[in-house]
Amino acid sequence: MTLAQDIDLPRSKSGSARAPLVSRGAMLRWGLALLTFVLCVVPFMLVFAISFGRKIEGAAWGWDFTFENYQRFFVGAMWPDDVTFLYLQQLGYSFWYAVIASCLAVLTALPFTLLLTRLSRRAQAMWLVFILSSLSLSEVFIVMGWDILLSNNSGLPALFKSTGLTQWLKDVGWFQTLRDWGLANPRNVKFKTSDFATILTMSYLVWPYAVILLYPPLSRLDPSLREAARTMGAGNWQVIRTVILPSVRLPLFGTTLLLFVFLLGTYVAVTVFADPSKHTTAVAIYSNVRGANLNAPFGATQAVILLISASVCLVLGHKLNQWAEKRA
Amino acid sequence: MSGLVLDGVSKSYGSVRAVVPTDLDFADGKLTALLGPSGCGKTTLLRMIAGLEDPSSGTLTLRGRDITDLPAHKRKFGMVFQSFALFPHLTVLGNVTYSLTISGVAKPEAESKARVLLDLVQLGAFADRRIGELSGGQRQRVAIARALAQEPEVFLLDEPMSALDAKLREDMQVELRLLQQRLGITTIVVTHDQREAMTMADRIVVMSAGRVEQVGTPQEIYHQPANAFVAGFIGKANFFDAVACSGGVRAGDVTFEAKARFHPGSRVQVAIRPERACLDHEATGNTISATVTFVRDLGPVREYHLDTPVGAMVVEYAMGEQAKTYNVGDSAQLRLPPEALLVFAVDQPHQTLMAAQ
Repeated sequence: MTLAQDIDLPRSKSGSARAPLVSRGAMLRWGLALLTFVLCVVPFMLVFAISFGRKIEGAAWGWDFTFENYQRFFVGAMWPDDVTFLYLQQLGYSFWYAVIASCLAVLTALPFTLLLTRLSRRAQAMWLVFILSSLSLSEVFIVMGWDILLSNNSGLPALFKSTGLTQWLKDVGWFQTLRDWGLANPRNVKFKTSDFATILTMSYLVWPYAVILLYPPLSRLDPSLREAARTMGAGNWQVIRTVILPSVRLPLFGTTLLLFVFLLGTYVAVTVFADPSKHTTAVAIYSNVRGANLNAPFGATQAVILLISASVCLVLGHKLNQWAEKRA
Repeated sequence: MSGLVLDGVSKSYGSVRAVVPTDLDFADGKLTALLGPSGCGKTTLLRMIAGLEDPSSGTLTLRGRDITDLPAHKRKFGMVFQSFALFPHLTVLGNVTYSLTISGVAKPEAESKARVLLDLVQLGAFADRRIGELSGGQRQRVAIARALAQEPEVFLLDEPMSALDAKLREDMQVELRLLQQRLGITTIVVTHDQREAMTMADRIVVMSAGRVEQVGTPQEIYHQPANAFVAGFIGKANFFDAVACSGGVRAGDVTFEAKARFHPGSRVQVAIRPERACLDHEATGNTISATVTFVRDLGPVREYHLDTPVGAMVVEYAMGEQAKTYNVGDSAQLRLPPEALLVFAVDQPHQTLMAAQ
């Protein structure tokens, strides 16, 4: 008796082995595709469809197929009689805050993470747990903390005044510079509202993400690369500039891009710390969809344009990186 | 002339002593191998020489100049790392010009010099390749060219062959030695491979447990090992325990004539190289009876594994050296020539003897 004869295969009535109509793997794949479609594609398609809708005065909005919302975004509602770039300006502020805050977060997280990788395994684990736990704080909670810290009456400005730092700044002549930068009123320094406070808070929001994203590539970096550079005459700064940064260029770029896209949607920090004239597209979207304006189609248009802008940035970033790789 | 001198250099990590206070000098233009088993402190010693580790005590001087506190980037000793540590974001040429460009040498001059070095290591045609496109042997050559680009006073190599396969390793050992002789650069190689050390080095420093066991030429180390550790680590050796007696040693009921080095009655360890022992048909002086238990034909040599009254032993013959061949189960007389017997004290496993330099 052969081994093949020993194996008892399930057989159909006709005697042949029975195969399932759809394999479990295929079912899983189809299920995941359906879930992705329902959770990601359908909401986006809805937003996209609504962006062509029309606001009905005195009511909510209705389905339509008009480009008025897009026209309004780029050249204003009164075009061609009058042109306004208010919404493009808001998009510009979204980009400005996100670019500066993401770069600041990555630039400060990089040396910290480098030092972190040189600590003992135990110390590294403790720091990482601490940083991960800080992610559990919500944006609202973090902004509230910074709001108190930077508020004119109880925060740093009050401390500046009580310790005589404000007077010292006036004496040495730097106070006027702070006023020129919008960081002081005639009496004292002020951080609310300012680009400084907005960017600082936004950087703080994403800083733990920057550390966590940079930690794996930096910890994998072969320490003998640094040592080799040192034996060839490179000082600390030269080692960072010529070996470490080029070796982690891709993770650095990817982290900055990811944080940038994440920060494009920042809402609470901008509403609390940014001057109303410098509010971003994310704030305007909320205002249209849920806030005072109640113009869901225009809010949807802004959301679609913000999404497309972010996608364009990602593609451009990818192309730029490819170009840099070829050039290197 | 003594180029690099280590005077009482040691390294401790907390309570762990990686290198005990060590005195060594490395002659100008010679190749010295730091040889020892894993964890013996040879790499730590090399890293202290390179300036990558601070010594816990002692001083390092280079041609009379104290360099103990000089940071690695100011010593500029060329170093080849075990992993080669080539910069993956640079081309072969970029790696070799690295030390020159950061020290301010103009790009055309740096590239011209790098191309000469790449020709020297037979990689002239690979200048524009990425590091990922090279084989292990080619990477090693790039690492050597890169380390030599800055014209270092001392050239350091940390287990440079460990990442290569056996055949390539043998070729590279010869190539590296020829290159070193051509350039006449003071070179220190860390290795745990005694064959590699014997092939390349003018002088070998044998280390064990953080201390230097013996310093000498390959021949001295092999033929006149300072202690049982060196005899066992360098080459193959048969060992048996014995007691020193007048004119030789006694193992059980057998007395062997040997060079008298110890007081009669001292416990000693006796070693003999497999190729120095002989199989005879008849008993003469210094012979014991032996039975062949295993025969290993390795091509150029044949090994006879023997059972003897003093324990298991191996005798090695080069092909053609011995007309008579033995088979498993054959009886023979094993002769241990007195001049071939190496006698060591049992109680001094780390006896340090400095060979004449």
